[in-house]
Amino acid sequence: MGWFSSSKPEVSIVTRQDRKQCWESRDLYFQCLDRGGVLEAGKEGSVCAKEKSKYEENCAKSWIEYFNKRRILAEQQKDLLLQSKIQAQEAKRR
Amino acid sequence: MFSLKTSKFISSISRPRPWAALTTSLSSTRVSNRLPSRTCKRSYSESTGARDRSAVGVFTPAAAALFVATGAGLFYYFQYEKQKLQERKQKELESRSVGRAHVGGPFTLTTHDGKPFSDKDMLGKWNFVYFGFTNCPDICPAELDKVGAVMTSLESEYGEIFQPMFISVDPARDTTSQMKTYLADFHPRIIGLRGDYGSTKFICKAYRVYFSTPPDADSNGDYLVDHSIYVYFMDPDGKFVEAFGQSSTPEEVVKRVKKEVEEWEKDKGRKV
Repeated sequence: MGWFSSSKPEVSIVTRQDRKQCWESRDLYFQCLDRGGVLEAGKEGSVCAKEKSKYEENCAKSWIEYFNKRRILAEQQKDLLLQSKIQAQEAKRR
Repeated sequence: MFSLKTSKFISSISRPRPWAALTTSLSSTRVSNRLPSRTCKRSYSESTGARDRSAVGVFTPAAAALFVATGAGLFYYFQYEKQKLQERKQKELESRSVGRAHVGGPFTLTTHDGKPFSDKDMLGKWNFVYFGFTNCPDICPAELDKVGAVMTSLESEYGEIFQPMFISVDPARDTTSQMKTYLADFHPRIIGLRGDYGSTKFICKAYRVYFSTPPDADSNGDYLVDHSIYVYFMDPDGKFVEAFGQSSTPEEVVKRVKKEVEEWEKDKGRKV
């Protein structure tokens, strides 16, 4: 996990522009992981190095941890979410 | 209500054609069922013709028709009444005055402009109250954008009778200047509120909001705050109306709010 050892100053994200930048670089990095069939960030070796450094540059550490964790959770919860969506639609119909 | 019942009753008697046919055939089969024993009786008593008729008694085709018609009439009447009752109950459940959750309460905090703000400042406006923190990765900004969209849609119809509020659950890092910068990207009239840890905890308790910030959070730390993500909708009397979750679309929120505002205005006979 490269970002734990990075000595960059902390990223402060307050504005919409900051957030947009972070989200975009996150999406690019995750797309790169998807192309390599890697689910867990950091396990991809050096294939996404460029995207990763952008991601770390634009997002706070806490955000990176959160997004990476959520990526894994989202994959695990795909079925559950689908089910709950169906249930929600049924409930709405009533 | 009673006149309705009788009219329904009469109407069901006045058109008993299908039932009449049914009941006549029913009574005749009954009589024919009894016939064998009757023939036995006849062997020792000859004057049973009149008695037979009296044994059948009041159960004539007309009486049977009346009986069935009354039963059917009553059945439908009760069903109709039951349905009306259920509808009324449903309406009561949806209305604002019955079964209101005890959410909200007195508080005093500071706005992002450094002015004091208390629950009294909420009165006279419909308030959207959201709890969050400025370092929130994605959910808070999305919810605040939703509130903004809802506000724009509602105010184009009702005017400026709504007020959005953002209450920080991260008082250690969310200084007034930080809040000011953060909120500049959202609705122009949104009010950012913050207090010390104690008052944050207090208002969160009143609104049943969970948040994970520890009391000794590092003001320079890089951490996230886990917290409840409901938008609380409060009426001009400061009373809780509804909590909208992440899954409520702006259209759904607008629809619910409109219903509430219209009901309130009808109730009070005035606009806010």
